[in-house]
Amino acid sequence: MDLMLSADQEAIQASVRSFLDDELPMARVREIAQGGAKALSPLWRAAGALGFFGLAVPEAAGGAGYAITEEMVLFEELGRVLAPGPWLGSVLAAHALATAGNPHADLARIVAGEQQVAIVDATSAASSIVVRGNEVSGESGYVADGDADTAFLVVAPSAILYVASGSGAQVERRPSMDPTRAIAVVRFAGVRGAVIAEGSDAVAALLRRATLLSCAEAVGGIQRTVDMSVEYGKVRKQFDKPIGSFQAVKHRCADMAVRAEVARSATTYAIVSVRDGTADQDFQVSVAKILASGAYVQNAADNVQNHGGMGFTWECDAHLFVKRARSFEAAFGSRLARLDQLAESFRGA
Amino acid sequence: MEITFTPEEERFRARAREWIEANKPTDPPIENDLKARRDFDLAWQNKMYEAGWAGISWPKEYGGRGASLMEQLIWYEEFASAGAHEPSTLFVGLNHGGPTLIACGSEAQKSFHLPRILRGETVWCQGFSEPGAGSDLGGLSTRAVLDGDDLVVTGQKIWTSFANIAEFQELLVRTDPDAPKHKGISWVICPMDAKGIDIRPIRTMAGHQDFCEVFYDEVRIPRANVVGQINDGWRVAMSTLSFERGTAFLSEQVRLTRMVGELIELAKQTPLGGAAASAGDRTKRTIDDSDIGRRLAQMRAEVEALRAMTYRSVSRTARTGVPSSEASLIRIFFSELQQRVHALAMEILGPQILEWDADEQPITTALGTKRRRIRETWVFRWLLSFASTIAAGSKDIQRNIIGERVLGLPR
Ligand SMILES: Cc1cc2nc3c(=O)[nH]c(=O)nc-3n(C[C@H](O)[C@H](O)[C@H](O)COP(=O)(O)OP(=O)(O)OC[C@H]3O[C@@H](n4cnc5c(N)ncnc54)[C@H](O)[C@@H]3O)c2cc1C
Repeated sequence: MDLMLSADQEAIQASVRSFLDDELPMARVREIAQGGAKALSPLWRAAGALGFFGLAVPEAAGGAGYAITEEMVLFEELGRVLAPGPWLGSVLAAHALATAGNPHADLARIVAGEQQVAIVDATSAASSIVVRGNEVSGESGYVADGDADTAFLVVAPSAILYVASGSGAQVERRPSMDPTRAIAVVRFAGVRGAVIAEGSDAVAALLRRATLLSCAEAVGGIQRTVDMSVEYGKVRKQFDKPIGSFQAVKHRCADMAVRAEVARSATTYAIVSVRDGTADQDFQVSVAKILASGAYVQNAADNVQNHGGMGFTWECDAHLFVKRARSFEAAFGSRLARLDQLAESFRGA
Repeated sequence: MEITFTPEEERFRARAREWIEANKPTDPPIENDLKARRDFDLAWQNKMYEAGWAGISWPKEYGGRGASLMEQLIWYEEFASAGAHEPSTLFVGLNHGGPTLIACGSEAQKSFHLPRILRGETVWCQGFSEPGAGSDLGGLSTRAVLDGDDLVVTGQKIWTSFANIAEFQELLVRTDPDAPKHKGISWVICPMDAKGIDIRPIRTMAGHQDFCEVFYDEVRIPRANVVGQINDGWRVAMSTLSFERGTAFLSEQVRLTRMVGELIELAKQTPLGGAAASAGDRTKRTIDDSDIGRRLAQMRAEVEALRAMTYRSVSRTARTGVPSSEASLIRIFFSELQQRVHALAMEILGPQILEWDADEQPITTALGTKRRRIRETWVFRWLLSFASTIAAGSKDIQRNIIGERVLGLPR
């Protein structure tokens, strides 16, 4: 039993962090987040060159041959800087295509960072998408970072399809409350895709991965809110003292740190459970989502409070985490939906 | 990254489980009969000792099991999962006094006391807190003056759990009133039968008598009972912390997980509005209420996360060899969760909690099966849960520790 990072994982963490420090300072995040696929494409190629999209892709298919545990490290770093763009869809699509029976021609391009892929959750209540064979019809709910040039990983209740860019999907961008995560509604009218996998087991497996990698991303953001508050608590002075010396602020920071550790622990445990395919993996995924979601929403709010009037401005980064917490919470089964599911499981037995 | 244990560790688990299952004592005495609890705990400890399971985290050279960190974790998990009786009156000796002697005691102190603690022959208590020194322990004022080969102690301690059934006490006294607060303190082994000691039990809000006031009137304690150097007691008291590697609290976490399971059962068996509600409400179970259902689900998720958190902390300690500072994070999360669990039990039970007799104490912390007994035990546990954010460093002090030592915020 060991829930700390391995030497390899620490190396991945260091490499991703130094890349993001160089490429994605917060000013740049704000600049490119709503710019769509074109604005993101230099970043994508650079990340592709470093192998970030193929961490869990088998070596034979051009990846690094790691597992979801290493993808977790990547997503936590992405979450720390609120990295914009369809990272989740691209990483999941690369893994799904590489592990499917007959590899798709786009796999190499996705791994190389030449093709962005957004994920379309057609199992969500907001989606009216129907899949027949390799044909997709209907309208999606909100698709994170979907754009005219992106491909789509369509996750329907009983099949997963890859819809290449330029296949005829109509993308309508919508104004996004979360400035670092663009949203769109995508319409499919008999658009043809490639069936990657069929059956509810394959779909469930992909959704577990999606949920947990988004939890890992959230953990990065949650940790960042702690770091921001602690940093500000040390430098901002009132009454001739750093505000972090006041217990009201100090204890709020302590609670934020507790929540961060809880969310990180639950997420890490769930990710290893899913990697190992344990009997309770679905439960562990829900535990991770419930705690990460609660932690992110509350920590982001506390971080605004700790920054005072500055925290209420558009200029201060604090609000970006408030908003990201909500876009995280809304995707792949909300906290409330998962609580209800769990409660229902108690009632039956 | 692994959440599974090695085959060797799993074999250890199987052995531990089998032994605990076959040997765990049944029918523990009621909480309020301290003498009976003492005898029961000592006998149980002795049984563990004879079978080689005592002092799971103690080094082998001192008669302990010398178990690896993972084995300790497994042992505590199995112990609590089996619902084995926790010898709580021995907690100070096993987890505090003994480890302090191992870290700082003289050869004579170690060879006399350690075997007695392990074999289940002596009970220890902790005389740290005073009426004027609780959170600010360094402000203690019970004084001790050197007179020949003796220290002569005068003053008062309070909240001393099990003082009236203990042979020995880890006693903090002020030996240099002129030195800075933390510099003039000594750590002394105090025999509780020494002349001049007066012990008065204090009744808790749960109705029982777990802790005491202890008065010292020119009590003579041999100087040889000082652990470490005179005036070096603060360092000695702190050294215990580095021995405790974060596994001892595991049992209570596993027990909390069991309690959440019991709480879910309770919500299934209790009609909405409690048993005293009118007949019309009885068709709906409390578990069917959407608010209660969600709160139970949240707690179920939280105890699971608590375990993951502890696993992470133990993993870190296994890597670094030093106790992880995350312990205070776990402590806060655990103690507040424990209180939420018990408060929810009161909501689920509803008005029936009102009938409860603090004097009639047929109560142990094990639930049993009788409806009335289940209700009474939940009320008792709920009252006990108020202590978990006060004892061993209040939640406010824990938050100070996190803020200052973990996060580095200014004092
Ligand atoms: C069930 C139980 C068993 C115990 N057993 C023992 C025992 O065996 N031996 C022993 O020595 N002691 C024992 N204690 C005592 C325990 O360690 C103290 O109660 C505890 O340290 C708090 O001290 P206090 O009671 O003096 O409260 P105080 O220190 O007076 O605290 C009162 C309130 O003020 C808050 N407060 C105090 N200082 C600060 C600060 N700096 N910042 C913010 N808030 C602050 C506290 O959090 C608390 O809410 C036991 C206590 C309990 C409840």
